[in-house]
Amino acid sequence: MTNVVEFQEKTLTIPDGLGLHARVATMMVRAMANYMCNVTLIKDDVEVNARSVLGLLLLAAVPGSRIVVRAEGPDSVEAVETITRIIEHDDNTQN
Amino acid sequence: MTTRRIEVNAVSGPLPQTEAEPVQALKGIGVSGGVAIGQAVVIERLTLEMYPQRIIAPDEIPSEIARFESAVHEAAKQLAQVKKLIHAGHPLEEHAYILDTHMLLLEDKMFFNGTKSAIASERQNAEWALSEIIGRITSAFDTIEDEYLRERARDIRFVGERVLGILMGRSETGKIHQLPPNSVIVSHDLSPADTAQIQWGNVLAFAIDMGGQTSHTAIMARSLKVAAVTGLENISSKVQTGDTIIVDGSTGVVVINPDPDTIFRFRQRQEVYRNYHQSLMAFGQLPAVTIDGACSVSILANVELMDEIEIARQHGAEGIGLFRTEYLYLGRRELPSEEEQFESYRRALEANAPNPVTIRTLDVGADKMLTNLSIGHQTNPAMGLRAIRLCLEQRDIFKTQLRAILRASVYGRCLLLIPMISSLTELQATREILAEVKDDLTRSGIEFDPKMPLGILVEVPSAVAIADLLAREADFFSIGTNDLIQYSLAIDRVNEHVNYLYDTLHPALLRLIHQVVEVGTAAGIRVSMCGEMAGDPVNIPILLGLGLTELSMNALSIPMVKKLIRSMSMEECRELTARAFDMTAAHEIRGMLEDWLRDRFPQDYFVPQS
Repeated sequence: MTNVVEFQEKTLTIPDGLGLHARVATMMVRAMANYMCNVTLIKDDVEVNARSVLGLLLLAAVPGSRIVVRAEGPDSVEAVETITRIIEHDDNTQN
Repeated sequence: MTTRRIEVNAVSGPLPQTEAEPVQALKGIGVSGGVAIGQAVVIERLTLEMYPQRIIAPDEIPSEIARFESAVHEAAKQLAQVKKLIHAGHPLEEHAYILDTHMLLLEDKMFFNGTKSAIASERQNAEWALSEIIGRITSAFDTIEDEYLRERARDIRFVGERVLGILMGRSETGKIHQLPPNSVIVSHDLSPADTAQIQWGNVLAFAIDMGGQTSHTAIMARSLKVAAVTGLENISSKVQTGDTIIVDGSTGVVVINPDPDTIFRFRQRQEVYRNYHQSLMAFGQLPAVTIDGACSVSILANVELMDEIEIARQHGAEGIGLFRTEYLYLGRRELPSEEEQFESYRRALEANAPNPVTIRTLDVGADKMLTNLSIGHQTNPAMGLRAIRLCLEQRDIFKTQLRAILRASVYGRCLLLIPMISSLTELQATREILAEVKDDLTRSGIEFDPKMPLGILVEVPSAVAIADLLAREADFFSIGTNDLIQYSLAIDRVNEHVNYLYDTLHPALLRLIHQVVEVGTAAGIRVSMCGEMAGDPVNIPILLGLGLTELSMNALSIPMVKKLIRSMSMEECRELTARAFDMTAAHEIRGMLEDWLRDRFPQDYFVPQS
């Protein structure tokens, strides 16, 4: 293992549906419990912590929004993958 | 949105030729259809505007922070309690996640640390600090353009109100637990925790000050099929408990203390809705035969409680395809006696005779731990000692149940279904125990059906793989899709990180079902399906196309599924199935089937109208 702090950044587009809503935000905060790295989501000039439900909701990421996911820490690759999966596989039905 | 005061006769029906005072009517947003006429029950909520304000002394800061922290802790405990009410199969099961959201909001730094630092730096008492912080957070939501996301401000308010109520020593909204029949719930707002505690059987409708289409009350009312109007702004202050109230969930009109003419007109509207519902209900009583006559499908119900047997019959079930027995064992200290079990099974069989009742033996372990059986902690209960594995280890419990079922078997057409078979050895062991119990009964001169069929639930992938071997010893197969999906796709349904992968139309699952049907048909044994998959119209063409002719489902789905089967041909089913087998992803298959249903049956609601 190296001690180099890893840094990951990826841009995602919120798919059709309800946007980054309560269910997705809840899943994301829960999922982040499994990672050590710091993860922030950035939309326009607003930056929020991926571990805060309120922050994620206040990001107001509606369908079509472009979100930058930025992670710093040893498991940042996996964390960004997980966030991508949660956003892209949201079934967008209700809620 | 604005609340307009309007006259009822402007809204619906012929103009009444009377000079009477216009009845008070309000217009909100109809969010869940149907017309309800009932008695108002006003649920008052503590709102964030009512709290004591006090500047605290510097030496009070630590104790005030501690008071806030313990109120948050208590709120989390209450939410966890409410969440427990929403067990598997609860009508609000799908919506339980919102309680998780609320629990996370309690811990959110913006709220939790924000309030604590307001107590410390502003020297505000906990109630004041909390209300200020909630106010600041919700005003940040006001600037969001998207309606759905803006509405989430209400979730943080609910959370704040709960903590505030605890700080102020208020009890929870008690009325919700004991509603009289025909209640129309009137409230400023209802939190998801409130709705989870409502006695649904007594609720006819909702009339709510706040909210729109996307409020949780709206979503829940729709899934529970009760009328609801939201966005009424001030109805909770205009109505008193006991008032007669009409709620028209499609037009959004609410009438308070209507005159007899108005009641009459709304009764007529009510008829229109009922007729649609009944026209669907009428299909329940018809046989499920495809339009070309090529395929006749037996439609049965999955039943968990005795009360559901009558509901199943009303909806047109041709028997019980899955009679779960866990309710006899759960939530009690002692095991149910043979006599008690016998009575339940006998009643189920008599109520359905001559139609069949398939009784599934005890299926506990994983998610429904018995209080009276100490089997120790299992780190992975879904793959642990459960169902038939537990029964083969705790043979006395198993034998008692088999005796009760055998004794009841002479009161109707009884079939025995064994859950979670994963090897032929287990099935052989079951047969041996069953033979022993039969011998005992014979020796005691007790009657039973010696030919009672013994079938297995095919729900573990290994059972699919060795279906040919199992077919030698089993009299029938019943495919349990819920677990088969979980085990074959390696998805823990209750794990929110992976449940997005759960899809009944996964190509792997379709192939597994295909294999079971083929093997069963070749061996000459009956194959049925009893998972949730069988009750969802979108899956029906594929299930028929795969050759299934017996489906057991949630009773409420039966009329719709029968109507669908009666409207389509086997040729269509085979073609859709062939196309599905050429596709590589579940969402692709689902998309194709949903499009087909919408194109083919534009007048019906077989798929969600997004």
